[in-house]
Amino acid sequence: MSRFAPALGPLLLGIVLGLGSHPALASLVGGAAHRPLTPGRLTELALNHLALAGGGLALVAGIGGGLGLIATRARFAAWRGSIDTLAALAQAVPPVVVVALALPVLGFGGPPTLLALAAYGIMPALRGTVAALESVPPEAREAARAIGLTPGQVLRQVELPLAAQGLVETLRTAFVLSVAVTAVGALAGAATLGTPIVAGLQNQNFVAMLQGALASAAMAFLGDALLLAAGGLLRRE
Amino acid sequence: MIARLLLGLAAAALVPAIFALLPLLHLAPNRLVTGTPISAGEVLGPWFWPVEGLSALGITLLAACRGRVGSAVAAGACAAAVTLLLIGLGSGADTALAGQPPASRARLAAGAWIGLILLSAALPPAARRAGLPGGGLVAGAGLGALLTILFASGSLDGLSLAREVRSRRDVLGRAILDHLTLTLGALLLALLVTVLLGLWRRGRGAIDLGVSGVQVVPAIALFGGLVAAGSAVLNALPALRGYGLSALGTGPALVGIAAYLLLPLWRGLEAALRAPDAESLDAARALGLSPRQILTDLRLPLGAAILVGGLRVASVQALGLATLGALVGAGGLGTLVFDGMAQFAPDLILLGALPMIALSLAAETGLRAVEAAARRRWPR
Repeated sequence: MSRFAPALGPLLLGIVLGLGSHPALASLVGGAAHRPLTPGRLTELALNHLALAGGGLALVAGIGGGLGLIATRARFAAWRGSIDTLAALAQAVPPVVVVALALPVLGFGGPPTLLALAAYGIMPALRGTVAALESVPPEAREAARAIGLTPGQVLRQVELPLAAQGLVETLRTAFVLSVAVTAVGALAGAATLGTPIVAGLQNQNFVAMLQGALASAAMAFLGDALLLAAGGLLRRE
Repeated sequence: MIARLLLGLAAAALVPAIFALLPLLHLAPNRLVTGTPISAGEVLGPWFWPVEGLSALGITLLAACRGRVGSAVAAGACAAAVTLLLIGLGSGADTALAGQPPASRARLAAGAWIGLILLSAALPPAARRAGLPGGGLVAGAGLGALLTILFASGSLDGLSLAREVRSRRDVLGRAILDHLTLTLGALLLALLVTVLLGLWRRGRGAIDLGVSGVQVVPAIALFGGLVAAGSAVLNALPALRGYGLSALGTGPALVGIAAYLLLPLWRGLEAALRAPDAESLDAARALGLSPRQILTDLRLPLGAAILVGGLRVASVQALGLATLGALVGAGGLGTLVFDGMAQFAPDLILLGALPMIALSLAAETGLRAVEAAARRRWPR
């Protein structure tokens, strides 16, 4: 049970925030004057949000993780120093700006959001993967090589299992980032949980705004709890 | 050796390939449509071969050469290529616009952007390798000065972005000022809260949970939630409006931005206080230093670089988050970005985005230099 203890806080918080986004509860805080979103519409937006964030996460984890794997192979050792610098520089362009710049090129909707996710998420994912793989003790790698495992076997049977926790941690960061960037994607016209926030700010509908805010925060916390639990499962006692 | 040769050849072909494949300018009848592409040969005219030659030389030397002299030549060639490319783009835009109606625009296209970014990205590493002290900073400042001189001399005036800057000079200046005010205000607020939290030594576990929990909340949701909560409070207690409080504006933006800065600052403070090892602390105590002296003479100097590192991460985050502040009516460069999105006007979006990116890069490189200086001044 203690494996899952760190996941409990985010799980409870996610459930409470999710319940709070129900129209009946959000209206209590936001005042009855505004029209809340129906649960059906909220679910539709949430599913769309989840699909877009999931797609972006797959993209970021695939490219960032793949590049991280390549960067930690021995023959690319010289490149590792520049990864941290590049990752720091990539953070200088926030997701809002990427979405905005992609808008005239890619049009409204999902594509600029996905591009923003890739542009903003790949470097942290790459850096996380590299850090996780480098945390594998060199002796373990040496020993595996000494008993005659091929490089592919060393990776699959030694490095990946030993780095699993760090990799899940990287995935957790990438997921939280994906949910946040997808919410920003509402500015480019993607139908996500950010949409009621952006629309609510424009037409002063604070109830819908509160619902969108609570629901997107709930999604982030629930996913966080799920990945924390996954990390707990992988932990070696 | 062969690998390096291949790398050099690939690098030499990079800029010519981009110029051959992508247009440098778009000529459009007004500021909202994309327009027709114009190729590099047509735009640059007499500057075409010098730019291609210089950029091929610079990038090849950077890729293939490790020595100081080679790197210095690479830096010089890249700088000359950027200058000529900018001048060529300006005069090419003037030529393209000649005889067109006044509403037409010559907008920078993909080839020009990629070329400019590549060449300016090559400058800092080349300058650093050539042994120039503070290479990255000097290169960045040089690029800024070059742009200012060219812009002031009017040789960029044909480009639609330069026109947008001229017509919105006051708005842009105001937005940059607001953006910086918002960033610094949020940084100060977060620093104050971090120091106060740092004093509460027994609540460290709870604080750590809290500040990392905030990071999970999407920024736009936190801003929206703060505005909604603020309006609910103001509706319940209308008297507060008399004190100038409002649900929209700078207030929620400052609080929202500062909330995200707590994590890097808090982690930085915690790591900085733990910087000296146990033996140094024991030695200091044995010498009879008071806890206050240990803090000021041992913990803070040894942790200075880590503190600055936290500040660096927080500053870059604050500059980015301040863009989102425009959404809740706090002003700043985000105003231009969002106006540009609403009008679908790419130049207006760039007008907000480029200064924001430049400010972030300046904060990143500047504070990185301070971090390195602190590490040299107080080695561990």
